Amino acid sequence: MGGQKPEPRIELVYGALEMLILKTLVWGPRHGHGIAKSIEQTSGDTFKVEHGSLYPALQRLLQEGWISAEWGVSENKQRAKYYTLSRAGRKKLTAETTRWERFARAIAGVMRPAEPEQES
Amino acid sequence: MSWRRQFSKISALLSGRKPADLGDEISAHIAIEEEENVASGMSRTEAHFAAMRKFGNATAAQEASRDAWTWRWLEETLGDVKFAFRQIRTNAAVAIVSVLTLALGIGVNTAMFSVIDAAVLRPLPYQQPDRLIALFQTEAAPGMYPLTGADYLDWQSQNRTLESTSLYGWTQYTSIGGGAKPEPGMVMPTQANFFDVLGVHAALGRTFARDEDASGKNHVAVLSYGFWQKRFAGDRGAIGRTVRLDGEPYSVIGVMPKWFGFRFSADIWTPLDMSPETLGPRGNHRWNAIARMKPGLALAHARADLLAISKRIEKQYPDTNEKINSIVVPLKEMMTGYTRRALLILFGAVVLVLMIACVNVANLQLARAAARQREMAVRVSIGAGRLRLLRQLLTESLVLATAGSLLAIVAAWWCVRLIQGMETLPIPHVNTIEVNAGVLFFTAALGIAAGLLSGLAPALQLSETRFNNELKSGSRTLAGPGAGGRNVRDLLVAGEIALTLMLLIGAGLLLRSFIRMRTSDLGIDSSNLLTMRITLPDKDYPDLPARQRFSDALIAKAAVIPGVQSVAMSLEIPLEGGTNGYLKVDGAKDPYIEKQLVGWNLVTANYFATFGIPLLEGRGFTVADMQQAAITSDAVFKLWKAAKGGHFQVPANLTLVAVISKAAASLFWPNQNAVGRTFHWNDMKVTVVGVVADVKEYGIRGDGTEPRMEAYYPYPVLASWGGQAILSLKTRVDPRSLLEPVRRAVNALDSNLAVFRARPMDDVIAENVQDASLQTALLGAFAVLALVLAAVGLYGVMSYLVAQRTREIGIRVALGAQRANVIRSVLKHSAKVTAGGAIAGLAAGVALTRLMANLLYGIGPADPLTFVMVPLILAIVAMAANYLPALRATRIDPVIALRWE
Repeated sequence: MGGQKPEPRIELVYGALEMLILKTLVWGPRHGHGIAKSIEQTSGDTFKVEHGSLYPALQRLLQEGWISAEWGVSENKQRAKYYTLSRAGRKKLTAETTRWERFARAIAGVMRPAEPEQES
Repeated sequence: MSWRRQFSKISALLSGRKPADLGDEISAHIAIEEEENVASGMSRTEAHFAAMRKFGNATAAQEASRDAWTWRWLEETLGDVKFAFRQIRTNAAVAIVSVLTLALGIGVNTAMFSVIDAAVLRPLPYQQPDRLIALFQTEAAPGMYPLTGADYLDWQSQNRTLESTSLYGWTQYTSIGGGAKPEPGMVMPTQANFFDVLGVHAALGRTFARDEDASGKNHVAVLSYGFWQKRFAGDRGAIGRTVRLDGEPYSVIGVMPKWFGFRFSADIWTPLDMSPETLGPRGNHRWNAIARMKPGLALAHARADLLAISKRIEKQYPDTNEKINSIVVPLKEMMTGYTRRALLILFGAVVLVLMIACVNVANLQLARAAARQREMAVRVSIGAGRLRLLRQLLTESLVLATAGSLLAIVAAWWCVRLIQGMETLPIPHVNTIEVNAGVLFFTAALGIAAGLLSGLAPALQLSETRFNNELKSGSRTLAGPGAGGRNVRDLLVAGEIALTLMLLIGAGLLLRSFIRMRTSDLGIDSSNLLTMRITLPDKDYPDLPARQRFSDALIAKAAVIPGVQSVAMSLEIPLEGGTNGYLKVDGAKDPYIEKQLVGWNLVTANYFATFGIPLLEGRGFTVADMQQAAITSDAVFKLWKAAKGGHFQVPANLTLVAVISKAAASLFWPNQNAVGRTFHWNDMKVTVVGVVADVKEYGIRGDGTEPRMEAYYPYPVLASWGGQAILSLKTRVDPRSLLEPVRRAVNALDSNLAVFRARPMDDVIAENVQDASLQTALLGAFAVLALVLAAVGLYGVMSYLVAQRTREIGIRVALGAQRANVIRSVLKHSAKVTAGGAIAGLAAGVALTRLMANLLYGIGPADPLTFVMVPLILAIVAMAANYLPALRATRIDPVIALRWE
């Protein structure tokens, strides 16, 4: 993905944001701003993370117990809330990843039946 | 959502815990963004705004995040309710007026509904009431008639569709002895299975056993709850005690539940002696009957079944049963049918009152809407959608309506207590009138409807607020809320006028018809006239001489009471209904005459003078007439006793004289002199000696099937017809003041006799139209209520309009406009609105008052006088309501007006 000229950003499917947040947190605790930025960057700016949906999503994940939160201090010596992936969250991520791969393969198979599958 | 999240929401709701640091976190987020922006070379201010812009609507994000923790709709609703209360506090006057108006509207509806619920909606309080039916018969003359005993016995034994049938008699005025003085009571004789057919049990003791309706076994009594309380103070030991009914001992076997009521209210039920002799021959409609259909059968089955039996009887006994068929109606229809229409019309009236109340509240809210447009603009600017605004505004109306409903329930409960306390009420005493769960549910639904109805117009208008226009427009407004708002208000006021006019027309028609009733010519002079009923028990007065002695002595004793002008005794009195039958007019060729029911009455010589009934031809009764009648009656009475209820021949030498009414005379012998003519009544030859003016015997209105003809026979004939008699006295003093002296005179002759229904004739007349007077009073009250509400509404709108136009009027006055011109310009507008509403109201009135046709007497539903007068009254009230604001407009000082913001 990611062509030469800038393509319009894509809105995230419902539920996908949660998965991406969990994935981002695999590399260690991050604050909300960092999570959003990380998702945008790793997706090659394809996804735009709306802050109006980022924080509600974080709240939902907190409630499910997949992540935990703690106030800390950022690199720039600023106060920020850091989110950490929990053991349950890690399990959830594995399950979600498998589910997602099957989903993506299936979609891709339907959309481009002739072409070979691409590995991400 | 997973169970875990639901659970955490509930615990958050219960503990009131909320993610309080969300705001902090969002600030932190923006701060980080801002730092990055600075790092990439922006100025501090630029960096700050860029970060803010990038984050977007922080409040919305926060709310969405909170949604994860709570049910947002619930939180918002609670917030709306809280805000509504704050609004109410800041605008207490408007809120109080709104709540009271709604309480009034909902209150009358709740009270009315509890009456309708009891009288029309709820099923009869008996077992499987939809299987219960009432039985009647037809006659050659039109109408529905009670049953004859012999026909009933055939129906009972031959039917195939009825599980059980039961006969019952009319309630009898009975002297109940045993206390210090005899008490008047109502006793209803029934077949032994009466309570079993209804499927009701005694609250205490038992009801009648199967064989207790046989002669000799029937001296048992079931008491009503009220009588048990009154006579035995609720003592459970009353069972087995003895009550004396007209001197005969009856042992108490049971007490009915407090709620139990039937077609007639009764103090005591006793078993009817079901022997064929007591029930009487065919042709004599004396009894009422109910029946329970077999399960699964429809009314049509029972109808067909009984009709077939009636046809068989008709063939078998053509003399007595020609054209006598069966009529079957649902029991509920018989017991409640007669009030349904009047109640539904009154219910329609209170619904109109509520609608008017809602319009008034809507107008109040609309007036406030102008003041709240800025508030709405601010709400829109911070992101509230139209639906969200609508929801908040409707919540406010609903809070008002809820308060109104609560007040209404209190008011209705009080009204129902008042109704329960009323002794005589022209509605069936079947189900207790009460504010029950069903009524409360209705009130709740009504409250919600009223809230939405009164809140919708203001809410729709306010939620349309364009925040840009409003915030930019500054404070100086010429016209206030846009022209659209004014149209809505005009429409509401016109609607209010239309509704009010409909109510006023209905009330006007009832009032006119009521006046017609009260002023209609009854054919008597009811002033200073006292009437009362006495029952002579068969045991103490077994034969004619005994009864004759008593009535002669009573008349003599009553005549010398100071203040008494004349005394009469009779079997019936005007308005109270009576007995009737067919006559054979000697020499009449027209068979139509013999198919006409003729009422008959037994009267003493003074009856016509006492009631002020003018003699038109011939003479009244003389002492000699009475003596001759006594001899004839005695002979007939002896023959009747000897025949033991069977048929007997009246010898040709036994004759009677009669005075007949003008209607009878002109039917029997049109354009001829009736005096000296003869006819046969019950095989007895009768000679007409006089003709008197017509009298309304069967009520002021009647149903159109009652006989218009009347024949009067000399009083001693009463001996053959049981011991019921009515004593009437024309007095020179207030008739009420003679009540006690007359009662004492009765008890001086026989200390066991109670006096029933002792009242002036004027009370009898008032009672006869009691239902109409109640309907008129209620609908009149509702209409006046509506008129006041409409006037207040109109006044409010016009005042507001004048206030809005203050600046414009000020300019006009400054430019030299005349006072009269200003008033005209203000009134012109309201006159247009009023006229529009009035036309709509008249049109609806014409359509709706047709439903009232059978409540009216003497006038049609399109009574011209009503349709002219009522709009006139409304126009006057409307103009008066407009005049004050218009007057205020002329007092506007142009200098102040121009500075008006």
